[in-house]
Amino acid sequence: MSSANSDTAPASPGTFLIQKERTRFFGLTLDECIKTFFGGNAVVAVVVLGLITLFLFREGADFFGQNRESLRVYRQAGLEYVDIMRETERDHTALTRYLFDIRLQALKALTADGLSVAEANAKLAAFDDFSYAYGDAVLNVRGLVSDLTEAASAIKTKANVADDRRIERDQYLAAGMTAEAAAVTVEDVDFATEVKAITGTLPFYKDELTNFGTELERVVTELPVLPVPEVQPRLERFRQLTRQYVAGFPDNVERLENWDQFAPVPLSRSFTSFIFGTQWLTASFWQDWYGVVPLFVGSLMVSTIALFIAVPLGVGAAVYVNQIASPREQRFIKPFIEFISAIPSVVLGFFGIAMLGTALRAMSQWEAMSWVPGFPFAERLNALTAGCLLAVIAVPTIFTLAEDAINNVPRAFKEASFALGASRLQTILRIIVPASLSGIVSAVLLGLGRVIGETMVVLLCAGNRIAIPDFTEGLAAFMQPVHTMTGIIAQEMGEVVRGSIHYRALFVVGLLLFFIALTINFLAQKIVRKYRISVG
Amino acid sequence: MVTSSNFQSTTAPMDSSATTTGRPAPKASAAAPAPGIGRTLIDIDHVDFYYGAKQALFDVNVKLEEKRVTAFIGPSGCGKSTLLRCLNRMNDLIDGTAIRKGSIKIRDVDIYGRDVDPIELRKRVGMVFQKSNPFPKSIYENIAYGLRIQGRNKKSDLDEVVEKSLRGAALWDEVKDRLHESGLGLSGGQQQRLCIARTIAVSPEVILMDEPCSALDPIATAKVEELIHELKKEFTIIIVTHSMQQAARCSDKTAFFYMGQLIEYDDTKKIFMNPSNPQTEAYVSGRFG
Ligand SMILES: Nc1ncnc2c1ncn2[C@@H]1O[C@H](COP(=O)(O)OP(=O)(O)OP(=O)(O)O)[C@@H](O)[C@H]1O
Ligand SMILES: [Mg+2]
Repeated sequence: MSSANSDTAPASPGTFLIQKERTRFFGLTLDECIKTFFGGNAVVAVVVLGLITLFLFREGADFFGQNRESLRVYRQAGLEYVDIMRETERDHTALTRYLFDIRLQALKALTADGLSVAEANAKLAAFDDFSYAYGDAVLNVRGLVSDLTEAASAIKTKANVADDRRIERDQYLAAGMTAEAAAVTVEDVDFATEVKAITGTLPFYKDELTNFGTELERVVTELPVLPVPEVQPRLERFRQLTRQYVAGFPDNVERLENWDQFAPVPLSRSFTSFIFGTQWLTASFWQDWYGVVPLFVGSLMVSTIALFIAVPLGVGAAVYVNQIASPREQRFIKPFIEFISAIPSVVLGFFGIAMLGTALRAMSQWEAMSWVPGFPFAERLNALTAGCLLAVIAVPTIFTLAEDAINNVPRAFKEASFALGASRLQTILRIIVPASLSGIVSAVLLGLGRVIGETMVVLLCAGNRIAIPDFTEGLAAFMQPVHTMTGIIAQEMGEVVRGSIHYRALFVVGLLLFFIALTINFLAQKIVRKYRISVG
Repeated sequence: MVTSSNFQSTTAPMDSSATTTGRPAPKASAAAPAPGIGRTLIDIDHVDFYYGAKQALFDVNVKLEEKRVTAFIGPSGCGKSTLLRCLNRMNDLIDGTAIRKGSIKIRDVDIYGRDVDPIELRKRVGMVFQKSNPFPKSIYENIAYGLRIQGRNKKSDLDEVVEKSLRGAALWDEVKDRLHESGLGLSGGQQQRLCIARTIAVSPEVILMDEPCSALDPIATAKVEELIHELKKEFTIIIVTHSMQQAARCSDKTAFFYMGQLIEYDDTKKIFMNPSNPQTEAYVSGRFG
């Protein structure tokens, strides 16, 4: 550059000195270098995020195809058919459980009246005969379903073996080893004929069902008289339920008759069975299910508990520190709360297992605490334990951001409120908090994001039972063990075969988490932006 | 120069005698004497005030009169705001502040006495700030706020006070159709009058104004000055200002402060025409400060 020389040359006295001095590195001015450096950092961040998203998508996307295939085999090998039959048995089991519950209630009432357990049991003898008769009625149906279960799973195993062989053969062929490929025999499964053996039992099943129905009707016509009159209405209700149950048998038969072994499985089914599926069941001898609902519900419950505790604490502390505390207290409290976030979550989890779980359970067994719904509970590790610890993790996030939001409320609002004769509490509740509400809400949202993504604590302390808690028990559901979306990934990712459907299912759970976190952050940002505009 | 009588039409008169107060002069109020006028209301008795270790007021001794406008003037940093904020104990909000000597009495009650509730005091001694500061609420709620915090939530009651206060602050005609829109959507001058309306809604006896017009244009300033004339029939007003003209136009009495000391306090006319202290003379004639 010829002009570069003239630029850097000392200016003769009298020149108007406004030209920039241009030092050049690799042909770039200093300004351009700085720009490139920071721009480069931004690009790296964007590219990394893009790569992560892409990777998640690539690994996860195949899940839906594989799941559809698994559902197709489920149908064609007759597993679905047998499961329809099994519903009858399952509903009967639920009814027997209802009977147990009635017995338990009666027993409690009797012992409360001063009877010994043996005496009480003796009084319930008639009831027990009744419930044995009720329970035995199902035996024939159960026997049939169990036989068919074996048959169906044999067909499925055959199909799986055939699939494995086919893959083996294809691998040989791909490697050019024709001789070895020819040696692999693939026994193709003819689903139509194989499943005939199962569907052929339908007339027999119908007969059994009719007998079963009449037997139940007979058993419930004469209800035993309970020694505890208050419980008798429940028994009446039980009879009603049984009659409803028996009346549903023809429906069940109709579904079996209309069952189409070769009905295609739409791809959407694979999707809905993931999003709405209520079972997450892997490595099962019967059928694997990848339903995210129990995990999602678990994550949601744990986060709800955490926010329930952390929001009052975090926001309350923020209000206190910003509005009430003396400067000395401020200097002490703020770093202290922020320090909490420095505790490694595995340490918190360890604390949860070793201390909090046991302490909470012990507390739940105190007589004085028995009014709390769900107390006492038996499981040491449950949604409550994990939620309490997650609250500890969420508090610093919520506190810091909420304190920021409150701090941004112009001091003039506070002064004006005081000048009108408002007390400190009135000023906080009616002016400061409303003025910073959107900031506080977004603080809470970001706290939620922090909690939903937390893994270690839930893995260690949530109890890891993959089941939707029993919400019929009301708030006691929160004292049951749960499993979470983050926990399942951490727990199972190490054990799964790379590329298997299970492996991909975990990636889809990861994707779901990713989107939840993204949505939460997006909402939080939107709320904050709206707030800035409104205060101007 | 815009004369205030030009704005008579936009100002809702608070009583029929308003037309006689077209021109700012101490005599105007004497024409229609209000009860208690001219009596000592606030007795500031040899006050030394400190921000922590730093002394901001030195032996300030002055008696302020009821139903009059008193102006505090003086160069920046001389303690006008400090003294004003002593009168409704707003300085309590700042840590380490204290009156170390002397006392302030309103109607012979020591407002720093042990059994005085500063909240009750502030209901009686309202304040308008330099920068208008309406709450981020509707116009209606801005004014209702002072009543709501006293537990007065009856709709009819609030409606009445809101209208009366807005009329009193000469704002009613401009906002009556948008009472439920945000107070932050008003112009600067309107916002300042909204703040005045908010202050008079709780019916204080004294209104403190700390440079209420310093952020306003001349027309908005004229409106507020006009308003001050109306308000002094009902309220005792103390106004801090940097504008000599404003002090001359609006006030009956003027106090000149310098370096935390009260240099001279007298009728406004006397301070501007014939001050007894050479420092006052220098300041009002614009030779320093
Ligand atoms: N919060 C505070 N802490 C410490 N010193 C203060 C504080 N506020 C004011 N001061 C000091 O007290 C003195 C008087 O301040 P004050 O605000 O009363 O002045 P002023 O006359 O209102 O000035 P201006 O005309 O600029 O508003 C000044 O020296 C100022 O620095
Ligand atoms: Mg000031």
